[in-house]
Amino acid sequence: MGPLAVNEIISENTNLFLAFIIGIGFGFVLEQSGFSSSRKLAGVFYGYDAVVLKVFFTAAITAMLGLLFFSLFGWINLNWVYVNPTYLTSSIVGGMIMGAGFIMGGFCPGTSFCAASIGKLDALVFIGGLFIGVFIFGIGYNLWDGLYFAKFLGAPKVSTVLGLSDGVFAFLLIIVALVMFWIAEWAEKKFPRAEY
Amino acid sequence: MKPRTLLALFIIPMGLIIAAVPQNRTKPYKLTAGELLGEVTTRTQFVTPDVVADMLIKKDPSLRLIDVRSQDEFEKYSLPGAINIPVTDLLSDSYTDILNQDVKMNIFYSTGTITANEAWMITRQLGYTNNFVLEGGLNYWFEAILNPQEPASTSPDEEFAKYDFRKSASQALGGGLTVQTMPDQSISSPKPVIKPVAKKKKPAGGC
Repeated sequence: MGPLAVNEIISENTNLFLAFIIGIGFGFVLEQSGFSSSRKLAGVFYGYDAVVLKVFFTAAITAMLGLLFFSLFGWINLNWVYVNPTYLTSSIVGGMIMGAGFIMGGFCPGTSFCAASIGKLDALVFIGGLFIGVFIFGIGYNLWDGLYFAKFLGAPKVSTVLGLSDGVFAFLLIIVALVMFWIAEWAEKKFPRAEY
Repeated sequence: MKPRTLLALFIIPMGLIIAAVPQNRTKPYKLTAGELLGEVTTRTQFVTPDVVADMLIKKDPSLRLIDVRSQDEFEKYSLPGAINIPVTDLLSDSYTDILNQDVKMNIFYSTGTITANEAWMITRQLGYTNNFVLEGGLNYWFEAILNPQEPASTSPDEEFAKYDFRKSASQALGGGLTVQTMPDQSISSPKPVIKPVAKKKKPAGGC
C-alpha cells in the first residue's frame, strides 16, 4: 500500500535513495528530449518549438492517470500524498519572475542544471544568476516576509475547489492537454524558424 | 501526427474510465488477523478504573476519555471530561484526528466492556495506537470507585490501600458512599467541544 515511506514499508533513507535514482532518470529524459538547448526551450514562447509544453503536459497527465488508477486498485492512499501548500501571492509573483527569466535566459532552474552537465556556458551563467537571486531573497528576507506568506489557502486540490471529483477533473485536463497539443502543432507550422 | 493521435487514442479512454469510476474511499486494515489475535490475547489494551481515577484526580493532561455509547446515554451520565464518539460514527472523518494520534491516551468506555472493546479492535485494525479500554466499563466504575466495598479484616494490606485510595477517589469524583442510581452530572461539567487538531504525518516534500 503506497505511499511506501509513509506506511513504513521502506525507510526514509531508501526513500531518498529511490528519489535519487528517479532524479537521474528525469535528467536523462530531459537531456534526451533536447532540453539542454536554450533555443529549443524558449521556442514555446515564440511558437516555433512546443516541445516543453508537450513533454511536461504528457508527463503530468501520465502521472495523474497513474496515481488515480493506483488508487482505484488500492495500491496507494491518496490522502497520504503530499500536496504543496498554496500561498497565492507568492505563486503569482514568483511565477511572473520565473516566466520573465525563462524567456530571457531560455532555461528554467532544472533544465539549466541539465544543460550545465553537458558543459554549456549559457547554462553556467544562468546558474550564477540563480544563486544571485537566492542570495538577494535571503538577505532581504525581512522586506518580503509578509508577501511571501500572504494569502495562505491551505493545500487545496483544483478538483476540490471546482467541486468535481478527481476522476472527472483528470478527464477534463486530458482534453485540455490534447487541445493544447493540437494548437501547439498549428503554431509550429505558423511560426517556423529554419534553424535554431 | 502519428504519435499524437496514438497518444490521444490511448489516453482518452483511460481518462473516461477514471472519470466514470467512483473514488476509492476504503480504509484498509493494517494488521493481519494473526497480529490482532496476538494483541487481543495479551489484553494490554485494558486500563483499570484505579488508574483512570488517579489520572482524573491529578488532572493528567494526557488523558482523554471517549464515551462510545449513544448521545442520549452520554448526556444522561458521563465521566468527567469525556467526549462522545458513538461507536456507529467511529469511522467518520471528523474523528480520525482524535483517534489516530500519539499525544494523548484515548480510553474508550461504555456501560460494560463489550462496546468499548469493539471500538478498540476496529481502531487497532486501522493501525491507530494509544487507544485503550476501561476495564469493566461504567458498571465496574460505580462498583469499585464510586461505591467501594470495605475489604474483610483478613485481607492483605494492599487491599486496604486500594480501598483507601478508592474512598478518597470517590469523594473527589463525586460519588457518594451510598448505593444509588446514576447521579445526574449533566449540569456540573460543561461538555468539552471536539476541536479539530491539525493533521500530522503528512510527508514533507516539494521541488
